[in-house]
Amino acid sequence: MKTDLISATDLTLKDIEDYLELAGRVDAAPRDSLVGLLKGRILMVMFYEPSTRTRLSFESAMARLGGSTIGFSETSTTSVAKGETLSDTVLTAECYSDVIVIRHPKEGAARLAASTASIPVINAGDGTNQHPTQTLLDLFTIRKLLGKLDGLKIALAGDLKYGRTVHSLIQALMMFKGNRFVLVSPPTLRLPEYLLAEARAKGLDFAETTDLKAAIGSSDIVYMTRIQKERFPDILEYEKVKDAFCIDAAMVRNAADTLRILHPLPRVSEISTDVDRLPQAAYFPQVYNGVVMRQAILLKLLGVKL
Amino acid sequence: MSDVKQEKMLLIPKIERGFVIDHIPVGMGIRVLEILTAEPGMKDVVTTVGLNYSSRRLGRKDMVKIVSDEIPARAAEILALVSPGITIKHIRNFQVDEKLVVAPPAEILGHVKCRNPNCITNNERGMRTHFKATRRDPHLYRCVFCERVFPLSELEMTVS
Repeated sequence: MKTDLISATDLTLKDIEDYLELAGRVDAAPRDSLVGLLKGRILMVMFYEPSTRTRLSFESAMARLGGSTIGFSETSTTSVAKGETLSDTVLTAECYSDVIVIRHPKEGAARLAASTASIPVINAGDGTNQHPTQTLLDLFTIRKLLGKLDGLKIALAGDLKYGRTVHSLIQALMMFKGNRFVLVSPPTLRLPEYLLAEARAKGLDFAETTDLKAAIGSSDIVYMTRIQKERFPDILEYEKVKDAFCIDAAMVRNAADTLRILHPLPRVSEISTDVDRLPQAAYFPQVYNGVVMRQAILLKLLGVKL
Repeated sequence: MSDVKQEKMLLIPKIERGFVIDHIPVGMGIRVLEILTAEPGMKDVVTTVGLNYSSRRLGRKDMVKIVSDEIPARAAEILALVSPGITIKHIRNFQVDEKLVVAPPAEILGHVKCRNPNCITNNERGMRTHFKATRRDPHLYRCVFCERVFPLSELEMTVS
């Protein structure tokens, strides 16, 4: 039976451990030893939305394992522009490839693709819903940095309403014992009610605040996300909140040395560039870990042992 | 015989065989009839509809009686969504032979629309929705595709 990777909610603790353990072995392996593992295999990238990091890191992961990549990263030159259904595109794509990675603006699109295709499907983001490969690489990064995934105080900051990376990550971190969460956002960009209800139902220790500075001072991890101007119906509202959700070097210098700052990137102004050289900045190592984790995901879903 | 039972006997006669759909919330009787008679082969069955009866449990209630050997499975599924809590009594020889209180299903395939306009089920031609129950009382359902959770009462029916 094929395995897909569609949502953090599908993953058990054992699944997460398996992905993290495999990524650890990929990370430790000499690069040359990996290059023949997916020789002759083809990855289909179906990106209905723009992406730099996710698409390139999947392409890089596939190339480092000796496989090749085909696909599209915008739909204007494909049959999608002619009105083809997603199901038909998937049924076509599976004839050309061994594994599909899909990003789509509609929530649930990856689930539909997985239920249609006979080959493994990976969700690289579906609307505001899920981004499980980002979640796994975030978990891998946190464990690599702090040595554990439980008993942590984690501040999730910025756009918690539309940021799918946050939605997937909080659902995965809820599975580990003793984690406490500080949700830092403007009131209009709070975590959606359905996720807050889930957190409450699980008896999770979480607090909502607009005070980023205090959250930085008391957390093990600050997971920063970008506040997008286009999310605000009134531009004046955006101008009011954007500066309140920026991290600069002065704020970080007052924080613990053990604090680590993550960001799914791209950033605009929410983390000042003077933070980049501080030991707390971990977002570029996080990018590197993205390739490692995606190599692990491709190996696992294609059933190739390392 | 209680006054309530006497009133029912006078207004809605007993049937020899068929089904009594009882404890229908008042105002829903006609909707239940429409659902039943929309199924193939059900258009011509003999039916009796009673509206606004006194009910100990509901205060007022509607009731539908049909002379038929079965209730189509699809109609039963839809009734469970439209009006959970109704009672279906199978009548044989004027007696109640079996009684079933209709409960909302663990899963809903089709019949209702996802409320999230950005859900793929509202954007892909010919796609069937799929919900799974996450909680009872109130009945909550999670869309298998977009993962949003909605109360059953807020899910719009797609069947007439």
